[in-house]
Amino acid sequence: MQDPIAIPTYNNQYTYFWTGICIFFLGISLSSPLHAEKKKKNIYEDEDVYLRSVYRSPEQLAAFYEGREFPHAAIKRITQSCYVTIILKNKTNDILWLELDNWVFEQKGKIIQRYDRQYWNKQWDDVKLQQSYRSTFGWTLMPEVRDLRAGEGVGGSIPIPMQTENFSLTLNFATGENKKGKIKSVKLPNIHCKQDIDEE
Amino acid sequence: MKILTFILSILVLSSQTLWAKESLPTGLIHLDGRQAPPLKLNDMDGNPFDLSKLKSNWVFVHFWATWCGPCRKEIPTIQAILSEYKNSKLKFAIINTAESEDLIFEFLGIVAPDIVPLMDNDGLVTERWQPRGLPATFFVDPDGKLRYLALGGRPWDKDIYKAFLDKMR
Repeated sequence: MQDPIAIPTYNNQYTYFWTGICIFFLGISLSSPLHAEKKKKNIYEDEDVYLRSVYRSPEQLAAFYEGREFPHAAIKRITQSCYVTIILKNKTNDILWLELDNWVFEQKGKIIQRYDRQYWNKQWDDVKLQQSYRSTFGWTLMPEVRDLRAGEGVGGSIPIPMQTENFSLTLNFATGENKKGKIKSVKLPNIHCKQDIDEE
Repeated sequence: MKILTFILSILVLSSQTLWAKESLPTGLIHLDGRQAPPLKLNDMDGNPFDLSKLKSNWVFVHFWATWCGPCRKEIPTIQAILSEYKNSKLKFAIINTAESEDLIFEFLGIVAPDIVPLMDNDGLVTERWQPRGLPATFFVDPDGKLRYLALGGRPWDKDIYKAFLDKMR
């Protein structure tokens, strides 16, 4: 006859064993290259949207625009801002409305106003920037409004004032041809302005 | 005579409906047939190009820039098909948006040396066409009207896209 005390001990061993197995496989799945890649690349994905956010430090931005032969005065203005670059794909079979005015940058309950195209036109007037550079810079920005068709993707940067603390971005999308469909919202928490010393 | 006119009208209407509902390869959409904006530019070798002189041809009007990731992926697929349509009714207008000759030359020399792009030096022609982003490809019909738009970059050298282009040759 078995010691009644021994039975739970025996079961506990099984419990520990199977719990260990589950934790092991959970650990494997969480540390798999796919998951790690998604996490590293700041990817959000659900049945409606694919979203990837990219952050560039002032030095990286300067390198990009220097490579495009931008004048120093313009690069100086560009690198004073913080850029959140979003790559977005509409996974629905309906129209998804990208409207930057409905995207909210927020830090501790306070709204951060983005720098719109009017702001940049003023900057470029100040430094007398040639039209070709204005055009290139404009195409690197996220469009203000876009009726994203089924399967269509879009990408671009959204400049905001440089921040020293983390903030969030809530992306609200109207849906349907007449914007009468459900509102789709995605919140990206804990975003920060990448600095030159940041690690990837 | 009235019956004949009626039958002909029905046939014309139904053919237009069929054309309008024709299925397109992924990423292409129908446009409303409005007149294409003017497109008069010089190519990188200094040769003039004027879209209005290409009436009776289909025209593949493509906007791109070297800094744009999807453009870099797509432009070799355009280079791959250019020679196939050289003597056809499908013409190509490949427009670089607001970049210098040096940048373009360095880039195309490696990935697509046969392409001689039109130079939209200040980017204003591109803005007038209002593409949904870069890259963008419009199809202008033989009457100079905007018929189709490719959303983003497309692999033009794949069979499904070549079959679509073959209808315009």
